Amino acid sequence: MPLASLLVSTSDGPWGSGLDRVSSSEDSLRNLSPLQWKSGPVVSLGWSAEEELLCVQEDGAVLVYGLHGDFRRHFSMGNEVLQNRVLDARIFHTEFGSGVAILTGAHRFTLSANVGDLKLRRMPEVPGLQSAPSCWTALCQDRVAHILLAVGPDLYLLDHAACSAVTPPGLAPGVSSFLQMAVSFTYRHLALFTDTGYIWMGTASLKEKLCEFNCNIRAPPKQMVWCSRPRSKERAVVVAWERRLMVVGDAPESIQFVLDEDSYLVPELDGVRIFSHSTHEFLHEVPAASEEIFKIASMAPGALLLEAQKEYEKESQKADEYLREIQELGQLTQAVQQCIEAAGHEHQPDMQKSLLRAASFGKCFLDRFPPDSFVHMCQDLRVLNAVRDYHIGIPLTYSQYKQLTIQVLLDRLVLRRLYPLAIQICEYLRLPEVQGVSRILAHWACYKVQQKDVSDEDVARAINQKLGDTPGVSYSDIAARAYGCGRTELAIKLLEYEPRSGEQVPLLLKMKRSKLALSKAIESGDTDLVFTVLLHLKNELNRGDFFMTLRNQPMALSLYRQFCKHQELETLKDLYNQDDNHQELGSFHIRASYAAEERIEGRVAALQTAADAFYKAKNEFAAKATEDQMRLLRLQRRLEDELGGQFLDLSLHDTVTTLILGGHNKRAEQLARDFRIPDKRLWWLKLTALADLEDWEELEKFSKSKKSPIGYLPFVEICMKQHNKYEAKKYASRVGPEQKVKALLLVGDVAQAADVAIEHRNEAELSLVLSHCTGATDGATADKIQRARAQAQKK
Amino acid sequence: MAFPHRPDAPELPDFSMLKRLARDQLIYLLEQLPGKKDLFIEADLMSPLDRIANVSILKQHEVDKLYKVENKPALSSSEQLCFLVRPRIKNMRYIASLVNADKLAGRTRKYKVIFSPQKEGDQRWINTVAQALHLLSTLYGPFPNCYGIGRCAKMAYELWRNLEEEEDGETKGRRPEIGHIFLLDRDVDFVTALCSQVVYEGLVDDTFRIKCGSVDFGPEVTSCDKSLKVLLNAEDKVFNEIRNEHFSNVFGFLSQKARNLQAQYDRRRGMDIKQMKNFVSQELKGLKQEHRLLSLHIGACESIMKKKTKQDFQELIKTEHALLEGFNIRESTSYIEEHIDRQVSPIESLRLMCLLSITENGLIPKDYRSLKTQYLQSYGPEHLLTFSNLRRAGLLTEQAPGDTLTAVESKVSKLVTDKAAGKITDAFSSLAKRSNFRAISKKLNLIPRVDGEYDLKVPRDMAYVFSGAYVPLSCRIIEQVLERRSWQGLDEVVRLLNCSDFAFTDMTKEDKASSESLRLILVVFLGGCTFSEISALRFLGREKGYRFIFLTTAVTNSARLMEAMSEVKA
Repeated sequence: MPLASLLVSTSDGPWGSGLDRVSSSEDSLRNLSPLQWKSGPVVSLGWSAEEELLCVQEDGAVLVYGLHGDFRRHFSMGNEVLQNRVLDARIFHTEFGSGVAILTGAHRFTLSANVGDLKLRRMPEVPGLQSAPSCWTALCQDRVAHILLAVGPDLYLLDHAACSAVTPPGLAPGVSSFLQMAVSFTYRHLALFTDTGYIWMGTASLKEKLCEFNCNIRAPPKQMVWCSRPRSKERAVVVAWERRLMVVGDAPESIQFVLDEDSYLVPELDGVRIFSHSTHEFLHEVPAASEEIFKIASMAPGALLLEAQKEYEKESQKADEYLREIQELGQLTQAVQQCIEAAGHEHQPDMQKSLLRAASFGKCFLDRFPPDSFVHMCQDLRVLNAVRDYHIGIPLTYSQYKQLTIQVLLDRLVLRRLYPLAIQICEYLRLPEVQGVSRILAHWACYKVQQKDVSDEDVARAINQKLGDTPGVSYSDIAARAYGCGRTELAIKLLEYEPRSGEQVPLLLKMKRSKLALSKAIESGDTDLVFTVLLHLKNELNRGDFFMTLRNQPMALSLYRQFCKHQELETLKDLYNQDDNHQELGSFHIRASYAAEERIEGRVAALQTAADAFYKAKNEFAAKATEDQMRLLRLQRRLEDELGGQFLDLSLHDTVTTLILGGHNKRAEQLARDFRIPDKRLWWLKLTALADLEDWEELEKFSKSKKSPIGYLPFVEICMKQHNKYEAKKYASRVGPEQKVKALLLVGDVAQAADVAIEHRNEAELSLVLSHCTGATDGATADKIQRARAQAQKK
Repeated sequence: MAFPHRPDAPELPDFSMLKRLARDQLIYLLEQLPGKKDLFIEADLMSPLDRIANVSILKQHEVDKLYKVENKPALSSSEQLCFLVRPRIKNMRYIASLVNADKLAGRTRKYKVIFSPQKEGDQRWINTVAQALHLLSTLYGPFPNCYGIGRCAKMAYELWRNLEEEEDGETKGRRPEIGHIFLLDRDVDFVTALCSQVVYEGLVDDTFRIKCGSVDFGPEVTSCDKSLKVLLNAEDKVFNEIRNEHFSNVFGFLSQKARNLQAQYDRRRGMDIKQMKNFVSQELKGLKQEHRLLSLHIGACESIMKKKTKQDFQELIKTEHALLEGFNIRESTSYIEEHIDRQVSPIESLRLMCLLSITENGLIPKDYRSLKTQYLQSYGPEHLLTFSNLRRAGLLTEQAPGDTLTAVESKVSKLVTDKAAGKITDAFSSLAKRSNFRAISKKLNLIPRVDGEYDLKVPRDMAYVFSGAYVPLSCRIIEQVLERRSWQGLDEVVRLLNCSDFAFTDMTKEDKASSESLRLILVVFLGGCTFSEISALRFLGREKGYRFIFLTTAVTNSARLMEAMSEVKA
């Protein structure tokens, strides 16, 4: 997040100079100010990590503006803040985003650790606090935001649960008040400036003192910030008064600078930016590599290599001497690395070039020096030099650039509408299209659709011309932006270019182009998508229109029917009615007759409706079957009333069987006649039922009532199933000749079966009998069959 | 015996990647709800879940307790609930009621719902299939040759192509690992799916129902009082040798195997201590494992035999064969009628009726009415709706008046050019979509002419999966297209299948594909495939040096097909 502060304006001026792209942001901010004045006095300004300007008003409202001075949104810091007014506010950055901390007129603190996901926290009260603290700051430790404040000689730490007094270890005596405090960029270190001109520096946890310094100036400093470099052991604090800048650290002496103008300090990742009306300076610890090379009379390998290269260019043999010196010490690799690294920290292209040239020169004398570091540094520097140009105005340091990553830098360029530069960088770095060029083009397109003076056709055409089928470009996102700007027609045009229907549909729905959405959804083949549109349409249109829409879309209609089957049976009926689909209506009422209705009258009525529908559908069969069922249902009801037991919902077959099993043979006969049960079925039915009852006498009577339409083999089978061989044998004798063998085998009379088979001279029957011959008992029979076979073959 | 792969059979790509991918996705989803959580799973998804992640993996990602999604209030006390369900209204109601109950009780918990793709019902899985194909092509390179037939096949194919175009570049330049892909719609061939299965794996499926590659063997198989869940795949060495065999060979094979096993056990009698030690530490475990598997499969066989070797089953198979061959239609019809009258089984009766209808281009009006009437009397009036479903699916229809013109039509086709005849028949078939099974069967030679007994021990064609009586239509189509590398010369068949608009070929240059990969074929069944079809194609692969990979929306069989069509009274 270092760059957010890069853009910070001086908070004392009305709308001072944003230093990045000075002219344009100044302009945009100036345009802003009248708006602001309408809204009320501003207490504090700050940039969020997303480069949005946060303006904290006295009434606790926070107004958010974009980089171009466009109003984005606003939010309030709560009622308490509104009532007591804002005394002071800080914008701070954590890993979650940018936070706002507020000190109210009632000397209470309220903060939100992330304005993107606003959760207000009111901090506990500081006991006995009557006046504003002399200084305070927001701290972030263990992913939680705290407030550290100083009241007279005391320090308090507020977390969301409690207020605790804290004492910095090793603090010099005699302090009666703290005038300034500063937390380092990483929240790891804390510096305190006391009224005695004494500066305490230690860890932010207040557990350890690092060093102290007495500057002997008792005037309160205007600003105090940390100046350090990641991974460096040196720690320093920069203190600023009106015209004096002092750098103090773990050393007996301080470094002092004179300030010519009013200045403002911004602490960053690897140093401090000092802004004044006419200058922008960067104060930082000299990086180790640069120090080694540029120290006066340095004999470091990098310094020698740089010298060697200069001599080489002069065509002096000293080049060789220097080179030898490095090589003898075996430090050439190190020398090259130093030069590459130092080049990264230089801001002047000439100096970068000479260092890189030295590195490249040294590389020639190395066998296996991996080229990556050199190549990447050249690339990085080209990118950095490009964005540092004053036209662009993003003066990042190398460390900040690395921390930020190229993706974020590209985002920031896009935010500044510097599309051509962003695309050039992507192409130069050969970033994959999806991450690079396409993304930027998509942003460009989103900007383009906001140009209201260009016609829909022209915008759509311009966008399509530039974007074409570039992979990773989402036309639907661009269309959504167009719709957001109130350009529905343009959005629809853009959506035409979107190849994925799934992406078109949600936006079309949002734009109330539901019918178009429906056909797109159907085109996609994604049924979930179709359902989404259907349910949307159902709420949007009146019923008639909805049904009409469905009528033209068979796939949607069939999906909707399925939905209705589970969810809205009545609607289903209406759908069939509308289509005069009598067949389905009939089916619907049939289902209702046993699923929905419980009373017998209701059920019969449902069946009657079904039958009528079937007649209309010219499905006479179904209509007749339904009428039969009505009759059966009424009859079953009567049977239950008269005979008791359960009849309802049995099939006709089972009804008759139940009657026989209950001994109601007469009733059974009557039913069979009434419903014209075919003879064959009746015989099977009676046979099975009587055998189940083991009513052998009745069975025999039945078998003799007339000639069996199903033959007598089933009688044999069924008796055997009940293990009644005696009865089975009776019927075996009555089985007709073609099934005689089977019957005899069933009752186990293998010998007689053999005789019959031989008599029939039927080969299949002979084999069948043979396969039933087992063990010694049937040995003679088997022989007999074999003999018969042999004889048959002779003939 | 058994089907070893040919020594030159191509190696399969690494499919374990798919499993890892699915597991990682699941873990990713679970981790989106960090911390301890209870997982609610739809019963239907238990088996698939088993295949990608075991309990210890779930525990590793802080799944505390597992619950089945059922219509009972949840007793979970966890602060976080995760649901793994199919997107069905019923499930959503369940989850909503749970959340509402928490709300009423003033309880706040975190909920996360993970949806697994919808499985059956409508054409909702077409999208899922397209996505699966897209995934396969990203993992295993593009498919140089694509063929397909059927409406859904074409839809899935086109959707898949769109997906590939959207994410252009990912598969470009990749070497194809699988040379061919064939998409086949179930409704191109219902006949095969309606037949009784007689290869071992199919029979096990028909009898015990294989679910997601595993089967529950009940006490009658395990010969103890517990059921046992058995994973049926190539890792089961015994099963692997018999899965594609005609059932009549299986018992003999198993008893031979048992004898061999006994011999191996017996060897230890003559051993000295050292050999014995070796035997116990190295071989015994394997033998015991084999022993266990062997007794399981013998148990399964016995159980199948008990059910299937009865007279009834023989008669049933005889009738099926008669229907396939198209003779003795009257006799078969009376058999079906008797089947219904005796209330043998509602699903079986329905299956036979459908088989009769499809093979005969619909039932003659008299039979159509009387069989339906009988069926309603036997099994209940709600099946009026079943018939309506079947009619819509084209599985049970009445011969349309146009069909009586078949004779005329065939004469016409002899007189005029094929093209004109095609137009005429197209006009007829627009009246009623006819299966034309008999004509197709003749064209593709689906009923092998047999001289003497068909030797099931040494099968000579794919018909062995139906005892030599019938070559599965689906498999024959695949065979023919692969042979021609296109639909060329099959126009008439395609027309008879009513698929003129839905047969497609797409070939790209093959220079990148290795000859190895060109012998790998991915067959995609839309709407389910049967184990018999898998066995038949495996046989074809062995004959021709191909290797088939199967992708299907479901493994199906006649009973599942019929149940999906049946109206069930709640």
